[in-house]
Amino acid sequence: MKLSLLAATAALALISAMPASAQENKSKLDEVLARGHLIMGTGSTNAPWHFKSIDDKLQGFDIDMGRIVAKALFNDPGKIEFVIQSSDARIPNITTNKVDLTCQFMTVTGERAQQVAFTIPYYREGVGLMLKADGKYADYAALKAAGSGVTISVLQNVYAESMVHAALPEAKVDQYDSVDLIYQALESGRADAVATDQSSLSWYMQQNPDRYKDAGYGWNPQSYACGVKRGDQDWLNFVDTALHEAMTGVEFDSYAKSFKTWFGKDLEPPQIGFPVEYK
Amino acid sequence: MDIAAFLHVLWLARMPILKGVGVTISISALAIVVGTLVGVGVGLVLTYGKGPLRWLVRGYTDFIRGTPVLVLVLASYYVLGTVGVDLGPFEAGVFALAVFCSSHVGEIVRGALQSIPRGQTEAAKAIGLTFPQTFAYVLGPQALRQMLPAWVNTAAEMVKASTLLSIIGVGELLLRTQELISRTFMSLEFYLFAGLLYFVINYGIERFGRYIERKTSVPS
Repeated sequence: MKLSLLAATAALALISAMPASAQENKSKLDEVLARGHLIMGTGSTNAPWHFKSIDDKLQGFDIDMGRIVAKALFNDPGKIEFVIQSSDARIPNITTNKVDLTCQFMTVTGERAQQVAFTIPYYREGVGLMLKADGKYADYAALKAAGSGVTISVLQNVYAESMVHAALPEAKVDQYDSVDLIYQALESGRADAVATDQSSLSWYMQQNPDRYKDAGYGWNPQSYACGVKRGDQDWLNFVDTALHEAMTGVEFDSYAKSFKTWFGKDLEPPQIGFPVEYK
Repeated sequence: MDIAAFLHVLWLARMPILKGVGVTISISALAIVVGTLVGVGVGLVLTYGKGPLRWLVRGYTDFIRGTPVLVLVLASYYVLGTVGVDLGPFEAGVFALAVFCSSHVGEIVRGALQSIPRGQTEAAKAIGLTFPQTFAYVLGPQALRQMLPAWVNTAAEMVKASTLLSIIGVGELLLRTQELISRTFMSLEFYLFAGLLYFVINYGIERFGRYIERKTSVPS
């Protein structure tokens, strides 16, 4: 009798303890809401993704994605704190809880997806070709037709040569150490075209209007997505929802405005009626 | 390189650069001051300590001196967080540099003290000085002269090592420079300028070291 009473008391204690332990495992979502602002990891050295304006403010497409999430959380895009991190620090800062979320032009790969949970992609990056507006070659077809007669400037990389040859099999490839040098090569005529990320190209063309043009061909697709810590489905769902509605729903205007600012292109508003994502 | 265009961009970017210089100097100064204070203690234990305490400090110096500064920086930012000491990037960086500095200063102090002939200590004992007095009036001043050049060298190393803090997102001069390059696409110009600023800072330290050396030199 006494023993069963003891067991019953123990069971009761266990049950009453359970909600408390469930409380301890609460989602990052509750933690962020209680804190009152979002902490996002990002960089500060890559235009147009995350870089400093002339008055030393962080800006760019990644920054705007963070503000969209902050707005979904607090109805105030300003309630966000940025943690500056190098590209190498993207995954460690997520797994060690230094940040709630990282949006830093992170390419989705299977290997990374084993370490962090990726949100839905918010941009599809690819390599493009930029030509001089008044140059010898009109577009991608002309470059390809010229065969080994064209020189392409690219950023130094182990796979730079094969990357260019995927689009222009015979082109000569000149590799340079830094971004300004690949553009300089085109400007000075040492190269006929620049091959690099399309986002960088469109940003550069926007900074130097009417001097360059896009060759109209893109390859090497890769998805950019934000990352959160694994094992917190609630938080992942929330960020996914915020990004999804920015691309298709109530926040479309802020997404489109940011897209226009950083990539110079106007977006068609999502079709009304049947949801675009099932087309 | 268009000098006039660069000077214009540089003028517009003066605030971020000054902030970067300020952060670089604060990191270095904190690391050098804390590292030197701890390092003198380390050096004293290495020279006069006995038994387990000395073995412990010996292990600390050898371990820290044998580790790359970058590893120390990353460890103090990430590993300390997992054991409950969650430092911000600035604090973690200063901590790592101070620890690194202390191990070097410790060895410098030990070397300087051990280079003083035993006769000095014996003479001090003979005239009845206690150990603290011996250290303050006999050994300390002589060791100071010995260690100054090496200490200036370590201090300059700290300024250079502070660039590693850009990895964990501290807005020091190098990261500020990279931020400016990403906006202006003037990499060569800005890296040269940053190099010049680092040289100026280190030259300042070197002159300061020389000044102290002059002040403490034996009048001849």
